[in-house]
Amino acid sequence: MRLCLSCFSLALCLGASLLAIAAEEPFRPEQGKFPPLDKSVAYRGELVFVDHATRRGSLRVEFKSEFFRSPPTPFAMLPYGMVRYHGAPADLRDIPIGTIMNIRAFLPPDPKNSSVVTTPNHWYPLPLENHAILIEDEPSLCLREGKTWKLKEVDLQNNQGIVLATRDSQDAAAAKGPEEKLTIDSTTRFWRGRENLSLADLVAEGTWPASGKKSLGGQSVLLGLIWKPCPDGIFVRYHISDVWLDDKATQRAIQSQTEVHKSLIRSRWMPAFVDKVEYGKFGRATATVTLFGGMDPSLYADFKKDGYTGAINGAENTLKHAGGSYGPAHMASQGTILEVIKTPGVAPMGSSGIQVRFETDLIIEGIRPGRVVRIRPSDWPKVYIPREEFLGEGAKIEDRFPRPDIFPVYR
Amino acid sequence: MMFLVRCSLFLVLGLLGVRANAANEEPRTKNQEQVAVPFRPESAKFPPLEKSVSYRGELIFVDHANRRGCIRVEGTGQFRRNDPHPFAMLPYGIIRYHGAPADLRDIPLGTVMRVRAYLPPDPKTSSVPVLPINNKEKDANGYRGTGIFPAENHAILLEDDASYCLREGKVWKLKEVDLQLNQGIVLATLEPKAGGDTQAAEQKLTLDTATRFWRGRECLRLADLIADGTWPASGKKSLGGQSVLLGLVWKPCPDGIFVRFHISDVWLDDVATQRAAQSQAEVHKTFIRSRWMPAWVDAVEYGKFGRATVTATLFGGMDPSLYADFQKGSSAMMNGAENTLKHTDASYGPGHMASRGSILDVTKAAGEIPLGSSGIQVRFETDLIIEGIRPGKVVRVRPAAWPVVELPREEHLGSFRHEERFPTPAIFQK
Repeated sequence: MRLCLSCFSLALCLGASLLAIAAEEPFRPEQGKFPPLDKSVAYRGELVFVDHATRRGSLRVEFKSEFFRSPPTPFAMLPYGMVRYHGAPADLRDIPIGTIMNIRAFLPPDPKNSSVVTTPNHWYPLPLENHAILIEDEPSLCLREGKTWKLKEVDLQNNQGIVLATRDSQDAAAAKGPEEKLTIDSTTRFWRGRENLSLADLVAEGTWPASGKKSLGGQSVLLGLIWKPCPDGIFVRYHISDVWLDDKATQRAIQSQTEVHKSLIRSRWMPAFVDKVEYGKFGRATATVTLFGGMDPSLYADFKKDGYTGAINGAENTLKHAGGSYGPAHMASQGTILEVIKTPGVAPMGSSGIQVRFETDLIIEGIRPGRVVRIRPSDWPKVYIPREEFLGEGAKIEDRFPRPDIFPVYR
Repeated sequence: MMFLVRCSLFLVLGLLGVRANAANEEPRTKNQEQVAVPFRPESAKFPPLEKSVSYRGELIFVDHANRRGCIRVEGTGQFRRNDPHPFAMLPYGIIRYHGAPADLRDIPLGTVMRVRAYLPPDPKTSSVPVLPINNKEKDANGYRGTGIFPAENHAILLEDDASYCLREGKVWKLKEVDLQLNQGIVLATLEPKAGGDTQAAEQKLTLDTATRFWRGRECLRLADLIADGTWPASGKKSLGGQSVLLGLVWKPCPDGIFVRFHISDVWLDDVATQRAAQSQAEVHKTFIRSRWMPAWVDAVEYGKFGRATVTATLFGGMDPSLYADFQKGSSAMMNGAENTLKHTDASYGPGHMASRGSILDVTKAAGEIPLGSSGIQVRFETDLIIEGIRPGKVVRVRPAAWPVVELPREEHLGSFRHEERFPTPAIFQK
């Protein structure tokens, strides 16, 4: 009896220890599931390298030291990771090198197959959470979080200067942001309605001073931020690349980027996770997929039930089509959209909350639960995609699982 | 346009004309071919432009810190099948965007660029794959045709369509637009601005709701042109040969078309064109002031106790105001650099290790200036010459008026690893 009690106590202790270990186990997203955003790590930095075909790149991450010393830190987009630019959906190829991006990221879901390094390769305290669910520029962050920049004062000398500004919530009850110093110069673009103005234009019309200080009275704007090396040993000070002076200008920027991205997705197809596959006879199957989130609503609206035809193709975690040398449609399963279901409640980030049930008479490899696919309603154009955006013969493992060794190691 | 006219080297380039690579392609007898030695640029010499090969394609990858990237080269086959083709900029290679000097980081991926390029000067240390010399004549198979993998992958000039047109004095004449559901086809010809070429071939280009139209200060969309009645909402309309500049990109196109470029931007008037050029020129001026002017060392006269006088030729293609900052009698700095234009050491900013001194003289060479060179020589005296400032080597020079800043990590050498000085082509996938 005593032995039994001892064993029980030991088992309890062991169980408690295992639970403690489990509690300390770092969170990693699981394949086929959208991870909770509150488990992500947030940071920001300058985009310094892009490999758009493989959905990865490098950021110079802001940390508590001299920004110029921060080496390019690789990141990869999760398959459902969203890129936003100018307040609209984007692809990595749309983001100019140098743009300051805000990132929400997790540890690599599967370190073995990570396309970026999984261990630190330098001595700086930079995040290991390098698989992004969201990467967005400054205007996108402000629009999403309901914030604006309030311009307090400008001080100009020789066509360059300093702007004092705060990033405040539009909610009047919220606390004001700290005052920040940002640089500005003759490269800064000002967007007002349809107009694209330069600093010289604002000076010429008397809105801004040619030289010296002027109060800007807390004018509400959106800012595009980049980084330029700054003098005087300053750790980090961002530079204003763009100023959107009014709502009309902001809306036009959003619309412009939205159109770019809509055109991209229509030619590359909508990415999705396979939730389940019900197999029939002779290759027939019905796949239920959840469309990834963050796209323009008009793209989701193109998925219509009751007999609408479409095609579904296997894809990798990089969103590359599994086959496409004659266009993805050449290998894809053709079929019919049986049902379009909007799941109730708020969809987690990465998901659209829209499920599509798709029936095909010839299911192909790659369309399996938990896998990424790309799906196309028949209205979208049938085009051939460029070589780097699909796997070739599939014989090379590197095509499916790009290795991190293209990234230089800085020590 | 005055902005461009001032760049004398581009006038020289213009005089050489579009057929400048003809010398490379003249028919030869078999025996002549056997004895012909392929041309490669030599260190410390600006190569003759007529020895270069020209091609164009879509920019699809950029490693701006190493001044290299990939282009999908237009050949004789199906454009979309063409694998990314790596290229590297020569140290004196010039990039132009919107009719102004640029860095690779300024060019959006997808932009259709025109290239003038040579064989690798030194195949052993090439940062991009070295290919068989006759590669551009080979059929790449797989419906790709010839010309898509030229061995001439070291560029002296890389420019977008707008820059090409401005340099060559050309414009696009818009003949007709045919729109359906906010996208359509434009028929246009590329002609000399002065007129005269009535035989220019008509080209079909696509456009859609993502196309930007620049008119004076305005940035318009297709919907704006339709709303003000300039363009039709649907159907065909003659555009009467309207002169414009175009920005070109490539998008996958349906119906098995081998290649058809897409209009990303239309500059509708001279004001809009000049504002685009000015905007890009300002970006590049700021960039060069913080990274310093690249140059070649022509000669070093050594004195005693580390004193030396260095003669260097500033590289070409910059805004004239940058060259004007080099003034006789003013102080300056000079630092060693690599062929990638990376500073050899700059972990505390290039100014930390650079040789300090003064500019003894600034001379402007007479006659034709080769592409890549500014034609401006600077004599610089320092009391402490550093390694790297040797004849034939690349340096970067800073006049005292330019800001002293620290550079980001990837833009200077920081360790003694071979890879940092001579990046290998390993990053390019096959």
